[in-house]
Amino acid sequence: MKRLLAIIIDGLLGASVGALIERVIVPALLDTSGAADTSYALLASGLGAAIYIIAGLAAKSSIGGVSLGIDTPEGRSLRTVSHLGWLTLSVFIVGGWIITAISPIEFFSGDGLAGAGRIFQALITPEFDIIGEAVSAMIVTIFTAFMATVVAVPISFLLSFPAARNVMSETPLTKTIYVILRVILNIMRSMEPIIWAIIFSVWVGIGPFAGMLALVVHTVASLTKQYSEQIEDVNSGPIEAISATGASRIQVLWFAIVPQCVIPFLSFTIYRWDINVRMATIIGFVGGGGIGTLLTQYQGVAKYNEVGTLVILITAVVWILDVVSARVREALR
Amino acid sequence: MQPLLSVRNLTLTYPNGYQALKGISFDVMPGEFLVIIGLSGSGKSTLLRCLNRLLEPTTGSITFNDRDITHIQGEALREHRARIGMIFQHFNLIPRHSVIKNVLYGALGATPTLNAMLGRFSDDAQRRAQEALQVVGIPEKAEIRADSLSGGQQQRVAIARALMQQPQLLLADEPVASLDPSTSHSVMSYLERINKEMNTTVICNLHFLSLVRQYATRVIALKNGEMVFQGSPHDITDEWFATIYGEDAVEVEIR
Ligand SMILES: Nc1ncnc2c1ncn2[C@@H]1O[C@H](COP(=O)(O)OP(=O)(O)OP(=O)(O)O)[C@@H](O)[C@H]1O
Ligand SMILES: [Mg+2]
Repeated sequence: MKRLLAIIIDGLLGASVGALIERVIVPALLDTSGAADTSYALLASGLGAAIYIIAGLAAKSSIGGVSLGIDTPEGRSLRTVSHLGWLTLSVFIVGGWIITAISPIEFFSGDGLAGAGRIFQALITPEFDIIGEAVSAMIVTIFTAFMATVVAVPISFLLSFPAARNVMSETPLTKTIYVILRVILNIMRSMEPIIWAIIFSVWVGIGPFAGMLALVVHTVASLTKQYSEQIEDVNSGPIEAISATGASRIQVLWFAIVPQCVIPFLSFTIYRWDINVRMATIIGFVGGGGIGTLLTQYQGVAKYNEVGTLVILITAVVWILDVVSARVREALR
Repeated sequence: MQPLLSVRNLTLTYPNGYQALKGISFDVMPGEFLVIIGLSGSGKSTLLRCLNRLLEPTTGSITFNDRDITHIQGEALREHRARIGMIFQHFNLIPRHSVIKNVLYGALGATPTLNAMLGRFSDDAQRRAQEALQVVGIPEKAEIRADSLSGGQQQRVAIARALMQQPQLLLADEPVASLDPSTSHSVMSYLERINKEMNTTVICNLHFLSLVRQYATRVIALKNGEMVFQGSPHDITDEWFATIYGEDAVEVEIR
């Protein structure tokens, strides 16, 4: 099973290297930016994949195998793996350079530097006339994050039990529920909050409510995972002892598992709120309300002195929250 | 007299395929202090956990009070467990909770789920919890956090929790294995008192033969999941000792 995964990794790496060379590096070298035939790209990818897989099989160890921890190459096979590794890295760096259009000339051009200078100038001479407006927007952001956390905590708490393997390992039915729940949570978590914010700003309209809903979804997914991992980690002794008294299943959860989890749960929750304040700022850029929305408004009309004020305020709040939440979590240990 | 407990041809195979019990049969009479001995891994804990059905046997049967409890589920299973107290090597108290709360948790089987979650235990339960702490000699520790007590004190709280169940049978899985010798004797003497004065049947896993000789009324020895000895503690001769623990074993004393 792991071997198959390793071969897939090798194949994907080889295919990307082949495609990068054919699509990006060769056209850049020949200076022909025309749309080449797709079949060449396919051929190049296939060739790359084949070379990587065959080299891996021949050497009895491969990049995929090493990264999954199932291969420990030595001598000749180590040389094969490291050659392929260096090849991959260099192709990725060269290809990446071309794709992201890195251009030192633009970075150091007179016009460019003057523009950057103007913005920095404006940022360090902030316009404090808007401080009232900025602070109220900041409060909106902080409370968007706070309410999202408050709403998400009970939901995550309830979901974390069916999402914990040790709670659900009894029957095939409970195991299935566990697996389905885990998959849904993983999908929810891998969708960035900014995407949820776009969805909800269409659904309920632009503003803090959309931002809050977006954060709730993401927070539920993250907290449930953290909570349930904590539940999977509890000492099984108290569970046995409470079960042995004839306690019901719910009583076992409440009296044997929950007491072992409250402190870590609190700690995760405070950290989540801290993260949510930062995310609420970003979400504001796409219509989640609060200071992020204000910032995009001033940036849109090139009022960089005002933007400077907002940046200072955001930095200060994030920094203070970071320190406070770290302190509280330290005290909870 | 009717046996309190009858075990017949009991086997247990763990989900990973390992057969930990291979056909065990024995009876336990009311009032006995039965000790189970055997090497580490011989199946002592597994056997004990079958008796109060923390584990479900694979084949064979267990009869308790003339009722077959081998495969009961749900409400019946909880009632069965509530009749049997259990104490453990590592005490298994709820660490951050107070001593008295830990004792009250012995009444969970008799308390409606919601009431228990709201901390509402009956007056009778409250009173019996105080009494149980008296019995084990630490009434003054009631409001202290359980994890701030010494090992011996924690085991006494665990005994008090088991007493809350007013058990017919008390199971003890190596109750003194993580205690020093004198504390071990103190804990064992509480078990002896419960056995003699409250007439509670006790089944106890032990490692030290000196403790076995002092407290057991009868002994069962397990080896690789099979019963290899059954009799009085004074019948364990050097030959039996070698059979149970292996040829190279030397008896260690605990006084
Ligand atoms: N959950 C489990 N899954 C698989 N095998 C297990 C499990 N629990 C115990 N075993 C195995 O069953 C055998 C008996 O274990 P058991 O804990 O009953 O032994 P024990 O006599 O109590 O030993 P000890 O003196 O070390 O407590 C051991 O070989 C153990 O490895
Ligand atoms: Mg054991």
